[in-house]
Amino acid sequence: MIKKSDSLVITILLFFLVSSSPGFGVQDTAQEKVELELKLPKPMFVGTPRNIRSANLERITGKRRPPFYVPKGTELLSLDRPVTSSDTEPVIGDLGFLTDGEKSGEEGYYVELGPSVQWVQIDLGRSCSLNAVLIWHYHSQARVYRDVIVQVADDPDFITDVQTIYNNDHDNSAGLGIGKDKEYIETNEGRLIDPRGINGRYIRLYSRGNTSNEMNHYVEVEVYGTLNK
Amino acid sequence: MNRTPTFYGLFFLVVLAALLFRVSWLGLRPMHHDEANQAVKFGSLLEEGRYRYDPNQHHGPSLYYLTLPFAWISSGTSFASLNEVTMRLVPAVFGAGIILLLLLLKDGYSPPALFFSAILAAVSPVMVYYNRFYIQETLLVFFLVGAIASGWRYLLERKWGWASAAGFFSGMMFATKETCIILFGAAAGSLVLVHVLGGSIKSIENPRWKEKNTKKTALVHLLVFAGTAIAVSVLFFSSFFQNPRGILDSVLAFKTYFGRAAGAGFHSHPFPYYLKMLAFSHYGNGPVWSEALVLILALVGCATVFINRSQKMSERLFLRFVFFFTILTTAIYSLIPYKTPWNILPFYIGVIILAGQGVYFLLNASRKIIVQSLVILILGGGLYHLGLQSYRANFTYSADPRNPYVYAQTSPDLLNLVHRIEEIARFHPEHKQMLIKVITYPDEAWPLPWYLRSFGKVGYWQEVEEAAPFSDVLLIISSTDKVDRLQFRIGANYQSEYYGLRPEVLLALHIRKDLWDKFIEERSLK
Repeated sequence: MIKKSDSLVITILLFFLVSSSPGFGVQDTAQEKVELELKLPKPMFVGTPRNIRSANLERITGKRRPPFYVPKGTELLSLDRPVTSSDTEPVIGDLGFLTDGEKSGEEGYYVELGPSVQWVQIDLGRSCSLNAVLIWHYHSQARVYRDVIVQVADDPDFITDVQTIYNNDHDNSAGLGIGKDKEYIETNEGRLIDPRGINGRYIRLYSRGNTSNEMNHYVEVEVYGTLNK
Repeated sequence: MNRTPTFYGLFFLVVLAALLFRVSWLGLRPMHHDEANQAVKFGSLLEEGRYRYDPNQHHGPSLYYLTLPFAWISSGTSFASLNEVTMRLVPAVFGAGIILLLLLLKDGYSPPALFFSAILAAVSPVMVYYNRFYIQETLLVFFLVGAIASGWRYLLERKWGWASAAGFFSGMMFATKETCIILFGAAAGSLVLVHVLGGSIKSIENPRWKEKNTKKTALVHLLVFAGTAIAVSVLFFSSFFQNPRGILDSVLAFKTYFGRAAGAGFHSHPFPYYLKMLAFSHYGNGPVWSEALVLILALVGCATVFINRSQKMSERLFLRFVFFFTILTTAIYSLIPYKTPWNILPFYIGVIILAGQGVYFLLNASRKIIVQSLVILILGGGLYHLGLQSYRANFTYSADPRNPYVYAQTSPDLLNLVHRIEEIARFHPEHKQMLIKVITYPDEAWPLPWYLRSFGKVGYWQEVEEAAPFSDVLLIISSTDKVDRLQFRIGANYQSEYYGLRPEVLLALHIRKDLWDKFIEERSLK
């Protein structure tokens, strides 16, 4: 049986033995490895960049969206349907703009909601089979909206049977779980989401500001599907 | 209002208010591309004690040398521990200094007019906005006012000290920005025009200097003026004799800047650009911006220069000089195709002086109480509106494109990118010594060098291929149209995010998944 005092002596001896060996506690000696000195290129000094204040409807990246196929009989379900929001008093515009069929990128066609996480919700009137959701946040400027999450439910409070059809909140900053979908740059084509025929009466869309400012915007949301019999 | 303690007391209150307005919340607006350029250039002077005048970029050396005391006080010689507030304190203090220098123009126009000019300069949105901008313009205007005021005092008193002061300020103008040549030209032209209109400076009856006004004395004073100006500019451009080549480069630079003025590229704007911006601007659903009040008051002031016969000859001459100087500089700056809004400042100071004269004239135009009350009411409302716009421009819309003075401004969203990099660096074994590769067009790299100044290994490339290899790179920043080519090289093992750099310009941040997962893991534990 090893005494308590003996074990202490052994521990100290072991410590000195190990600590005197190469590679303990510090990086390998200079003989074995040296830090690679990187000569990194410095930034190039350039003059004042272009000042852009006008609208730009051109795409930034990518090609035109390929055709998207939906079941026969699919129709636009969201036109003129009622819209509610977490921000009951939009800063600019009216919630009705979301479903009025106007998709222009000009002033007067979008609704602006306050900063941080905000949602809008469209009531389709009855449960439907959904085949496509098309979103235009704000397309007269190249920008990315953060934490775009689209959910479908039959519960207007989105408590039970909530189905998420799109989520690009990769760091869970909106608090609804991490999403695997990609962020994207807004264009006049809008963002097409495939709900894969799931059923629901209410569509709720979240966002958390954008790369240009902290506000949340919508020009139009279109929901396509078929009425459930 | 006379030059009594009351006048000076009120005047210093205006200067103090102007200073407070200029130094409040200086870190609110993200660093502009140009500010970051200047700040990084200053960084090498601060840390390595090196400065070489570049005839192609950055303008003159005065800004950097005058920043040194501010930096030493706030952070010693460490560039990384500097912040936006320290950098912008330099133009802010000199911006308030412009108003203080107006005091030297006493005898040039009446004290009340001078006082009103000071108030207008203190609250003018464009003045306040660019007095909080770490670029050369504010210093240029400060030295311009100093040169004109010293020149004016010299004409009144004929003392070599004022000749030397005028030389000092002129030399500093040259050491600040190459466009001072416009101001020198306009000043010379204005003197000629004043003379042609029968207002020879000899007509200023001042017995104090009449006896001293010999040709020999004048020649000596001219030599003092020129000698001081040359000595000051040689000192600065030679980096205090460390770089004698800078003296030659300061002259050769005019070729570059003349070329740039003609070939303005995307900074080409029509003739009325500046005046239109000052008179009326409205973008999107933002507020209406207008300094039309100052312009109108200046027009009134212009009229008094020629029709008001009650002025003393010295005042008439001085105001005529300011009138011609303002007209010439406004015309020249407007004729040059290359326009950026901060170039308003050098001619706008003349507008403000004339506007002060306009206020004084209107207040004395009638002795009827009702008329005077009406004028005071309108002016009070106008001043309140200018102050409100100034507040909006600097604190509410400081980086918002709906503000007319916001020009190619960095989006506040870039600070989110910087914050993300700092968060991620905590999980990298080398922390702020981790390798970061920035692959962007040159104008999309700024102001990153400023914001990443505390990171030890940051490299900047323009092409994806040049920046390879990527095997040991955990964090990459790229232009959005380089993302496809970059992802072809790095594969899908990176989490990509987009951040706004400027309106219409985004940057992509790519974080390697292993690092990203550590970050998300810790976040989920919280």
